[in-house]
Amino acid sequence: MPKNKKPDKKEAPEKTMNRRQFLVGGSAALAAGAIAVSTGVKTAVAEEAKGASYPESKGYLVYDSKKCIGCTTCMLSCSMVHYGEQNLSLSRIQIIQNSFGKFPDDLQISVCRQCVTPPCVINCPVGAAFIDTENGNVRRINEEECIGCKTCLEMCPQQPHRTIWNHILGKSTKCDLCIDTPFWDEKGGPGGKQACVQSCPMQAIKFVTETPDQKETEGYNVNLRNDHFLNLGLVDDSRIIPPKYKNMGPRMFGGPKPKAKQ
Amino acid sequence: MKGGYTGKIARVNLTDKSVSTISTEKYLAFGGGHGIGSAIFFDLVGDQLPFEAFDKRNLIIMMTSPFSGTNVPASGRCEVQGLGPMLYPIEWFGHSNFGGRFTSQLKFAGWDGIVVEGAASAPVWINIINDKVTIEDGKGVWGMDTWDTQEEIARRVIPSLRQGEWAQVADDDFTTQVPAVVCCGPAGENLSRLGCLLHGPGSQAALCGFGGVFGSKNLKAISAIGTGGVKIADPKAFMDARLWFNQFQWNVDNPREAARFGGMGYSLISGAPSGGNVTNGSPPLIPARAAACASCPRGCRMRLATGDSNESVCAGTMIFSLPGSAKASRVANDMMQKMGLGHWQLMPTMGYLRSLNMRGLLGKGKKIECDLPIDKMNDPGFPQMLLDAISNRKGIGNDMAEGAARFAAKYGLYEDDLQKGILRLTYWGTQEHYDSQTEVEWGYGSILGERDLMLHMMANYPLHWMAQSGDPYLTAAEAAKLYTDAMVPYNGDEYMIDYGDGPTGIYSDSKVKQVAWVKHYEKMWIGGGGFCGWRWPMCITNNTEDRRGPTPNAEPKFWKAVTGQDLSFADGMEMGHKIYTLDRSIWILQGRTSKMEVFPDYIYDQPGRGSDLPMYLNGKWTYDKGAGRTLDRAKFEDWKSRFYKFEGYNAETGNPTKKTLEKMGLKNVADLLKKRDKLG
Repeated sequence: MPKNKKPDKKEAPEKTMNRRQFLVGGSAALAAGAIAVSTGVKTAVAEEAKGASYPESKGYLVYDSKKCIGCTTCMLSCSMVHYGEQNLSLSRIQIIQNSFGKFPDDLQISVCRQCVTPPCVINCPVGAAFIDTENGNVRRINEEECIGCKTCLEMCPQQPHRTIWNHILGKSTKCDLCIDTPFWDEKGGPGGKQACVQSCPMQAIKFVTETPDQKETEGYNVNLRNDHFLNLGLVDDSRIIPPKYKNMGPRMFGGPKPKAKQ
Repeated sequence: MKGGYTGKIARVNLTDKSVSTISTEKYLAFGGGHGIGSAIFFDLVGDQLPFEAFDKRNLIIMMTSPFSGTNVPASGRCEVQGLGPMLYPIEWFGHSNFGGRFTSQLKFAGWDGIVVEGAASAPVWINIINDKVTIEDGKGVWGMDTWDTQEEIARRVIPSLRQGEWAQVADDDFTTQVPAVVCCGPAGENLSRLGCLLHGPGSQAALCGFGGVFGSKNLKAISAIGTGGVKIADPKAFMDARLWFNQFQWNVDNPREAARFGGMGYSLISGAPSGGNVTNGSPPLIPARAAACASCPRGCRMRLATGDSNESVCAGTMIFSLPGSAKASRVANDMMQKMGLGHWQLMPTMGYLRSLNMRGLLGKGKKIECDLPIDKMNDPGFPQMLLDAISNRKGIGNDMAEGAARFAAKYGLYEDDLQKGILRLTYWGTQEHYDSQTEVEWGYGSILGERDLMLHMMANYPLHWMAQSGDPYLTAAEAAKLYTDAMVPYNGDEYMIDYGDGPTGIYSDSKVKQVAWVKHYEKMWIGGGGFCGWRWPMCITNNTEDRRGPTPNAEPKFWKAVTGQDLSFADGMEMGHKIYTLDRSIWILQGRTSKMEVFPDYIYDQPGRGSDLPMYLNGKWTYDKGAGRTLDRAKFEDWKSRFYKFEGYNAETGNPTKKTLEKMGLKNVADLLKKRDKLG
């Protein structure tokens, strides 16, 4: 199957509306104002989805926001393998940081959670957001079918929303775990490779198959640090004494002092 | 242009408030970054030289590289160029650079650089949002410290910006990123020659005094935010190259020879994260993250749970080192960042103040009247008093704001103190960094440049600090072989890194080649690639089994993938040679002569402290210190003459010849030098 082509089989209500139909008559509620976008459409489609269950994704990205150095390598790799250019605004993983902030709240990693109950899929009025059952049930958006209504941006319960606005195409997009990467020859998706995971110099992003805790806000933000990391003098609690510091190695530029000879 | 470049450079005239565009394509023969900046400087004002740094004709040129905005490792630095008021005795055409996110955002906004000319009649700042470049009223930010300035401007640029949310930048364009702002502080506003440019909490363009040039132009800041991208000529080749590069990085989860290299102490050598902040290296450790500039896989900085000394490294965390309180030291160093004072000039200026006081020349009722309590330098309250005095030109601070060289000159002490080594402003008003008698690529490279070389990865981290560690991972012979294998096109000559003073050492033709290699790499790959001098070049590394680094393969590999240009490493070095020759021509137009390219007397007369390095002594490679060595004046002059000749300059005057310039495509430069009777 060509990488850009959406598989035939999908798990979402089929919609046949195009952008014009949607804007003109597809949602009368929209005409009533912006609030309708965030409530009316959500209610209508969510009602339809009530009681429905969705096959869980067979892959997730988890990350360690305390290990991240904020280099944005992952973001740039993401946009490049998908679009052939390096562009932070098009990246499906967002590293948001405040240089003046205090650790650990100075940095946030924002990536699609592949939600068990995916609001983007449920609420897409044209079925462009779908569950790719041929590729590990990954929640995806078919940009060719997207009508640019931004409903999925509004419906994503995360802050910031994990669905991404492609301002060049006027379409929504989202993390597909690198299933469709026209500018990278590696196989992606569950069982394959992800550009962000592969390029992160800190190994702070990990692909997992077990569904992270959906209730916990931080269920995807996990500890990926080992003793080697602690030995760099990087702790998240001042009571931690890294193993290396207990033995005191060479001291340069503020490293641990050698033990005095007895 | 297939990729890397946006194709346009913003030209902002603050005098007439006009904004125009310079085509990048016209300057592609100069690579990117520094080379393009030098060529633009020459084209716009070269024939008006000499003039002074605070003259309206001076330019502030801030260039990105083709790599900026991409994740080519450690390639995000911004090259700043113009006449530098810090430099002495002539305010040379100088360069400084800073890390962070500024070049990325400038590229994402669609610009390869910005050239600022003229001076505004009242304070302004420049606002770049994608393709719109506007000159904004500086009311409300003029007078602010550098941190408040950045936060205030970010609010003005994107009023809807909230951390952790998407914000609308323009039209239908959104970002989660904060505008990247670079600014001067009160020091720059008051035309201090110590004035730096600051971006983020700790990214300084510390050398040359460009904060003062901002001040002289009534320019407080430049902000850039963009929602565009950088086109990559061959994305697949790029991704392959980026993943290939992983092998040269410190493996954070499973480092090679962890027992030897693990821990913060080796970070300078191993390229491990976080080692740049010297204030948080001993338990109890303050919780912190390692923090990186855009695209850097190392992350030498920290952001602390206390929020102080964020993103400051090395000198940015150690100018004030108050006994017994790392916290007070961090706060004091942050104050320096907020006032916009360049750490690398503040250090010798403070040191000189102390020296004068100890010699009984400065203090209350002394020859030099001083209203600061110099005997209380270690008190926590002292830094604030000092920084306020310098930044706002109060009392003795008014003299200090001129920098150590001009301070000393004002009181008739400069020549004597310099020559005796009391005032160690070894190269062009900037302080001695490493031993000029031993680690000579640094000293020679500085005196043949326009300021402290400040390139740690040439020999300093990989060789000096490896030897200094007491546990080098390569023998001196292995280091000589592997290191020089990477030094294309002069590879094969191991004596290039012989730091002994024998026939193959610091006065040899091999050393001529090493210094030429350093200058050419500096101008092209560092200055043209936006590379960080703490990461590039990488001739050797402990992170690979065969200890070979990515240089010289990585540079052309990334260049081709990004730009589509098939530029070999050697081609790039020749371009660097051309750029160095252009810079040198500009200095000559400013008054540079061979006779000026000498060290102060103390380098020739007083024994040096030495520097652990590979040396070929008595027929064997070894690590030695060279302590107690003096530089031989006659031998250095002879070496210098051979260097000039090697570079295609007149062996006596050091001026580029017509033949050399024309061969490089610099006929216009040759013509101007001829007109001024300065051709070699």
